[in-house]
Amino acid sequence: MILPVGNAQNKINFSADKSSKELEYSHDTLLKNNLSTRTKIQADKLTNAITVYPAKGFKGSKNANFYEFLTMGTVPYLIGSGTLMAVFNAANKYYSPFQKTMAGKYGNKLALGVLFYGIMKNFSKSFISKPIKLLTGIDTEMPYAKVIYELPDDINDTDITSIEHHKVFESVEFPRWDLLYGDEAKGEKRNFRYDKIANKLGMGENLKDSDQEVKPRIKEIVVKSSLAKNISSYFWAACGVALAVQEPWEKYFKVMTFKFWKGKEFMKSLKSFGSSFTESVEAFWKGEGKGLKKHAGKILFGAAVLSSVLGVINTMSSSKTPSKIDSADVIKKSDRYVVD
Amino acid sequence: MESNLIQNFISSKQVPAYQLSAYPQTSKKPKPDFDIQRELDNRTFIKPLRGKGRLKSGNIFMSPKYMFDDFVYSAKAFKHAAQGNANDHELGKLNDVGLLAGGLSIAGYLTTKRYTPMTKGMEFIGLGSFLASMALWPKIAIQLPAYLIHGVNVGKEYEDSFGRTKPFYQDPQFIPWDLYSDEQIDKIGDRLRVPKDIENRRDFIQERMRKLAVQNNTLWMMTAGFATPVMSALICNALEPHLASYLNNRRNKEADDLLAHLDKNSKKFHTNNVQDRLDSIINMYNGKPVNGALINSVTEIFTEGLDPVTTESFKRDIQELLSDGRYSINEITAKNITKNLKERFAGKDFSPEFLDAILPDETHTMQILNDGGFIGRSVDPIEFTDVSKAIIKDISGRVNEFNRLHPDDAEDLEYVRTLIAGGEEKIHPVTSALKKLQSSVFDAPIQEKLNYLAKMFDNFGADEAVLNRYAVLKTGAAPETVIANYWGEVSQKDLFKMFGVSDAEFERVKFDRNLAGSLFREKIEKIVSDNAAYDKLMNTLVGKIAQINEKIKSSDITTHILRNSKDKSKSLYEETVERIFKRYADDMRAHGLSRTADALVGKNGDSFGSYMNIQKAYVEERMLGVKSSFYRLINTLDFYRRVANNPNGLEAANTLSREIKEELIELCKIISLEGHSSDHATKFYMLRNPNPNTTDFDPIEVKEGKVVNKFFGQANQGLTDIPGDKFFYQGGMKYMFDNPMDTQTISILEKNGLLDEVLNYRRVVLEKLGGEHYFVKPYHKIRPRQDVGSDLKFLLTGIAPDEWFFKSGQQVYNTKKWLKIFGGFGAVLLGITVLAQFFLGKMAPPKKAGEK
Repeated sequence: MILPVGNAQNKINFSADKSSKELEYSHDTLLKNNLSTRTKIQADKLTNAITVYPAKGFKGSKNANFYEFLTMGTVPYLIGSGTLMAVFNAANKYYSPFQKTMAGKYGNKLALGVLFYGIMKNFSKSFISKPIKLLTGIDTEMPYAKVIYELPDDINDTDITSIEHHKVFESVEFPRWDLLYGDEAKGEKRNFRYDKIANKLGMGENLKDSDQEVKPRIKEIVVKSSLAKNISSYFWAACGVALAVQEPWEKYFKVMTFKFWKGKEFMKSLKSFGSSFTESVEAFWKGEGKGLKKHAGKILFGAAVLSSVLGVINTMSSSKTPSKIDSADVIKKSDRYVVD
Repeated sequence: MESNLIQNFISSKQVPAYQLSAYPQTSKKPKPDFDIQRELDNRTFIKPLRGKGRLKSGNIFMSPKYMFDDFVYSAKAFKHAAQGNANDHELGKLNDVGLLAGGLSIAGYLTTKRYTPMTKGMEFIGLGSFLASMALWPKIAIQLPAYLIHGVNVGKEYEDSFGRTKPFYQDPQFIPWDLYSDEQIDKIGDRLRVPKDIENRRDFIQERMRKLAVQNNTLWMMTAGFATPVMSALICNALEPHLASYLNNRRNKEADDLLAHLDKNSKKFHTNNVQDRLDSIINMYNGKPVNGALINSVTEIFTEGLDPVTTESFKRDIQELLSDGRYSINEITAKNITKNLKERFAGKDFSPEFLDAILPDETHTMQILNDGGFIGRSVDPIEFTDVSKAIIKDISGRVNEFNRLHPDDAEDLEYVRTLIAGGEEKIHPVTSALKKLQSSVFDAPIQEKLNYLAKMFDNFGADEAVLNRYAVLKTGAAPETVIANYWGEVSQKDLFKMFGVSDAEFERVKFDRNLAGSLFREKIEKIVSDNAAYDKLMNTLVGKIAQINEKIKSSDITTHILRNSKDKSKSLYEETVERIFKRYADDMRAHGLSRTADALVGKNGDSFGSYMNIQKAYVEERMLGVKSSFYRLINTLDFYRRVANNPNGLEAANTLSREIKEELIELCKIISLEGHSSDHATKFYMLRNPNPNTTDFDPIEVKEGKVVNKFFGQANQGLTDIPGDKFFYQGGMKYMFDNPMDTQTISILEKNGLLDEVLNYRRVVLEKLGGEHYFVKPYHKIRPRQDVGSDLKFLLTGIAPDEWFFKSGQQVYNTKKWLKIFGGFGAVLLGITVLAQFFLGKMAPPKKAGEK
């Protein structure tokens, strides 16, 4: 909705108002991709996903956007995991002791499966992004903070800024190339990030326009690695579930406790988790019976490994081979060129 | 991008002036969609390209065509992504591909961890229902109510200029409103009751539509996590019986087919196990003398999985078949005899000098055999004595010689002779050595015989495997067999409803069989005292129980003991087993395995204890166990009914005093409801009054199914079991199983075709369980009967009705409890989500035109 023209005369000062929040960033800023930043971003997004964004969404705020909708997508995942665990376990307490034990065994495994699914799905993405970063210098997960200026809800609303956490390459059609340029004011070379990538990709050093040379390659790598991450992460998640349904976990469930203040019991529980984990990995790999039943674990694990390996290989194999001709050879120095 | 192309085209196109004059500005006939030539020729009209996007029509549920298009699009997206040139929209689609691939791999893996078709199938149903729930929840709980209440489809999709399908309200900051015509927006506005005479009505309607969409998307995100797993589980719950029924029919048909086309199906089960293993034995023993090890190996190969009687018979047959009954004597025999003699005398109280002097060494033994003319020819076992005599004669000579030379150390010759010749053949040092070396050789003719037999046994194994598979599919004591499914169907479906048990009532007794039993008895007593209630219960229950004859026809598998004694007809299974077994038995007889054939099918028409009977017995016993359980339940209900209706109907009881009658009825009520076969063996323990009132012969009084006891339960002290009172026990059994059934029960059983079997069941129980035989308590007479084993008693007793109710009740209760929790949760969530619509999309309309 467009506000009445009269409001334009109110001279809303975006940041001079002391009562409004202090902005951490004044403009879109590239962030370091390390554990601390990632944790901070995750925490920030999760907090917003369960507080600010639903509040805005339920009000039907005119500032609600696609980013907020996507961020709220974490909520069904988390609640869904909890509900799924509850579906298999919540009614057990009403059953007779024997049936409770039997249902509990199954329910606990499935709850663990839900947990492992989530862990493996997220963790396995690094099986693609890490090698790609190592081999190409491209960090496909590079985060940046985006400063948003919103429409005021009413004429008294001066708090009209917010920060969103995006990734530089989250859109392959519109990657934030601009953020990758160096700040010459800080003494950085303009193309230093692109130079590094060009170098890693074997396109040569000291290219005059490394940014233009590598952008198509980066784009291709981002697309391919995105495919690889997407598909392989689900196979790894499946491995997580498969691992969780192995029999050795039953030993752990017998001593499982989350009461960390009961030191001895908690330590026993942790220890049992470790040994059950090892035994379950073994059981998952070895299988039982014969034929497909025996080798199902190996097949699933193989599919996961294969999807990651093929993903990395495909990402690294470029259809766009670097140009052999140096731009210096194409432009004749004796001629005059006009760029408009 | 198209705009760049156009600009390039314009700048590169040099239109000479003369051509301009030659070509008028009027355009050619426009192409249906877009004609760039026309646009460029009309330069003055150059304007942005017309958008090619369009709203997707159709209802809010995805049509199969859309689903197919979506699938094709995802496949293309995958290809583009693999080539590195996918766009954002295509990459977004890949999540669905991954989710499906991952889901299928999870279901596939978990399938390998399940053992029955049902549990395997449910893994895929689980995945399907989860994916379906993810897609259906927003449609059912969000979009549909929003559409019905507000007239706005918040899940509307559109196709952009590049043919990509996207949610219309995906990004509230970019909604392609131009795809909606003014008429469409106005129509929605009317439905939203937006006043018609306001300024910028379209803007206001759009804003309300956007608001509704944003609110609903938020509602979706906040509820989906709760809804999807619950909805998925409920879908699984609803589909499970259908899958079970489908699989049950399929398995039943599979079983029927197995028997109907046994020869064809036998090929599927055929292996060359015996033949392959025989081949390796042939390689090992080819041309060598037949010995015990060979016979043992051959026996082991052929009889794997057969019962001990058949195995032993086969061994004896094969011994005959492989040998010509004669034995070789050579240096090996001499060596063995020498060795055996040494072993025989070892540990006995003889000096080493004596033993050295009397026992021949190998050369000397050879010499004895040679002198006797035994070497180099095959001998009949009759001649074993001659060999033995020659050896003993030699040793006796040496003993005499030793005694003569060493009179002080002289030994008893008779004892020495007894040591050699006395005792069994097995330990006879000479005979046992002679028997080791049969003269027959494992040559080609023998091998040929065995090869024939191997083929026969491999074929027999395959046929037997088909019969076993049939037996397991139909009656196996395993999950999801036809009989197990039938049991579940009768036991659990509508159990509480049939007996009028509420969830709360069962909740109180769910952990204790005695409490559950009491509740069950209460319910039965109440029902049997009411004609209509009894009729309803029995019609439902008997109707369900009678299904056994549809699931497993008595012409396929028969429980002979429950049939009329005149009916000697055989079931299809029995006929097939007999046909197959007899065919092989005849073949075995023709090929020298007569003992094996006898063990297989019996002798002189008597198949008692034969392998064939074992094959036949399993299915019949399983059927008897299940049928007995249900027929006992019917009889129990009928007995309670008789007590309620006609407590004085038992003629035999009329000679008893009222106090004893009261005791008797109580005992019967307990036996019929709780008794196990072991209780029948001990003829029940009951605390009774040892000095009952013998003057009061009044008839029994009954009120609402319960006996109004005048004496029973009054005496608090001095009660004791009276173990010698066989008439009391027999009276009880007659009351329960001999006294004519209630007419209502009879007519219901007749209607359902169960009358004969139930009556026979009563007769058999009375006969086999109810007599005075097998009283094991002190002072009871013991008169064993040959034809009643504890296995038959166990089968006839079946499961105690109270135990059946307790166990089945727990299952029913658990399922209901789960459904109540999550069904209720789902219903409340759905209700809240739908109700929330009434609070969404509220906006005060702007002032009307002209208003201030």
